[in-house]
Amino acid sequence: MKRKILLAVIVSILGAGAPWLLPRAEARVSLEKCTLCHSKSEFRKILVDGKIRELFVTADSLKGSVHEKKNCVDCHFDISEIPHRERPRRVNCTHCHYKGNAEGAPQSDAYLAYFDSVHGKAIARGNVKAPLCQDCHGSHAILKAKNEESAVSQKKVAETCGHCHIEIYAQYKTSIHGVAVAKGIREAPSCTGCHGEHKIYGHLDPKSTVYATHVAEQCSTCHASVSIMGKFGIETEQVATYKNSFHGVASQFGSRTVANCASCHGTHDIRPAEDPLSSVNPKNVPKTCGKCHPGANPNFAVGKMHIDAKKKEAGVVYYVASFFKYLTIGTMLALIAHILLDMYGRSKRLRGEK
Amino acid sequence: MSVESRESASVVRMSLMFRIQHILLMGTLLVLALTGFALMYHDNWLGSALIRLEGGVLFRGFIHCTAAVLLMAQMVFHAFYMLFTREGKRELKDFLLGKQDFADFSQAIRFNLGTASEYPRFGKYGYKEKFQYWGATVGTLLISVTGVILWAENISMKILPKIFLDITLIIHGYQGLLAFVILLFWHVYNEHLHPSVFPMNRAWLTGKVDAEWLRQEHPLEYEKLKQEEVL
Repeated sequence: MKRKILLAVIVSILGAGAPWLLPRAEARVSLEKCTLCHSKSEFRKILVDGKIRELFVTADSLKGSVHEKKNCVDCHFDISEIPHRERPRRVNCTHCHYKGNAEGAPQSDAYLAYFDSVHGKAIARGNVKAPLCQDCHGSHAILKAKNEESAVSQKKVAETCGHCHIEIYAQYKTSIHGVAVAKGIREAPSCTGCHGEHKIYGHLDPKSTVYATHVAEQCSTCHASVSIMGKFGIETEQVATYKNSFHGVASQFGSRTVANCASCHGTHDIRPAEDPLSSVNPKNVPKTCGKCHPGANPNFAVGKMHIDAKKKEAGVVYYVASFFKYLTIGTMLALIAHILLDMYGRSKRLRGEK
Repeated sequence: MSVESRESASVVRMSLMFRIQHILLMGTLLVLALTGFALMYHDNWLGSALIRLEGGVLFRGFIHCTAAVLLMAQMVFHAFYMLFTREGKRELKDFLLGKQDFADFSQAIRFNLGTASEYPRFGKYGYKEKFQYWGATVGTLLISVTGVILWAENISMKILPKIFLDITLIIHGYQGLLAFVILLFWHVYNEHLHPSVFPMNRAWLTGKVDAEWLRQEHPLEYEKLKQEEVL
């Protein structure tokens, strides 16, 4: 009798454990089953529009990626029979990627910003061309963004965005920032440096980091930093002098039509002023200013654009400002002295009259 | 000076036309100062509060330019009034600067320092009033020129290099500040705190001053009026 009870206990323990053991075994089987077809190098599908869809996947496809330990059906969980008759649905990453998940995915909700972003909203409106997670992060070979080989690494993300934003990518690649990133300068901004990662908004959306009135703020995150700019010998006062200019003040107090950094320097095509293609090259300045101030003369480009009247580098402007400063102080002192003298003199005059 | 001899009679010092011009000038200058300094000192809390109060940076500019047009119109009107009306011509004559004014100025200083025995005797307008009047006139002309250059920035940019506009802006702002503090200090002292008028010379409202005040501060004018038997 005791034996039977013991046996029952052992069986029930094994039974309880079985469901835990079973999926692993099944999954392994499933991977093998998937690769039966998908690991054939010729496995592809010709789509209606004539494009070819590569369906080649091997057991090594996930190797080295962040999902190394996952199996096909962990993501393609809508596959219930093999071979599958229907085209599997696009993988839904939020199945595992949410705060509090038990799958071992990073405990982060950062991606939630995607749904409010220009891309997320385009998807929600039914734009099939708008990117989902895998369009930027890759599908099987997903690597951490810190990894240089990742599709969303600082070095590679521009190319990734360029899959859709081709013209912008071409402009950016030859810009000062694009060249710097290609050289391996970690501080230089790639697309995400200015536009943000998941929370990308259209530049006409007031929430955007590159909305007209936010541009100066966004550029200043790097360009006002002595520790970053010092490495490359770039001045950091450009932001402060802009903010004190007519343009800067108007922008600060809500004008959306006034010039911000990008209006003169460009956006994706920013180049150093020495570059003849730069919009702020002295030769191009009249044209650049002329966008808003029709007929700006070539003479206008003479001299420094970003000036601080309080600093000697401003030249004549500094001396004029200093002259007025001392003139005002001097006049005030003379006035006060005269007033005090006059009061003293008047009391003397009154005493004399008495 | 005994109490009995004090006269309670009053004389007109500012006619209605001048009082209106003075009040308009005061109004436009105050608006120009408030809107101008808001921009000049936009980086401190008072400046930014003023810009917001003035309906944002664009409306601030609109107010500033409107007040400037009013000020310039007044200046032209005043010039015509002073040159071509009987009252204007008389006042202008009283306001003309002469050697005597600089002599008065130096004598006043010397008296106050104790090296001259007599205080200068002024006509209707002493050196204080004249310096203030001509200073304000020249200042208004200059600040109008720089202001128009900045206002018509698209035309200015066709002709001038940027550095010229930078300097123009500096001059416009600092000159405004200079004019503002001089007007403020001068008025606070001469029209408010000066013991003969404390707490305020009301001539700018009523147009009238006490004959006794005139006798003390502008004796030549007092004697002239006595002669003309106005008093």
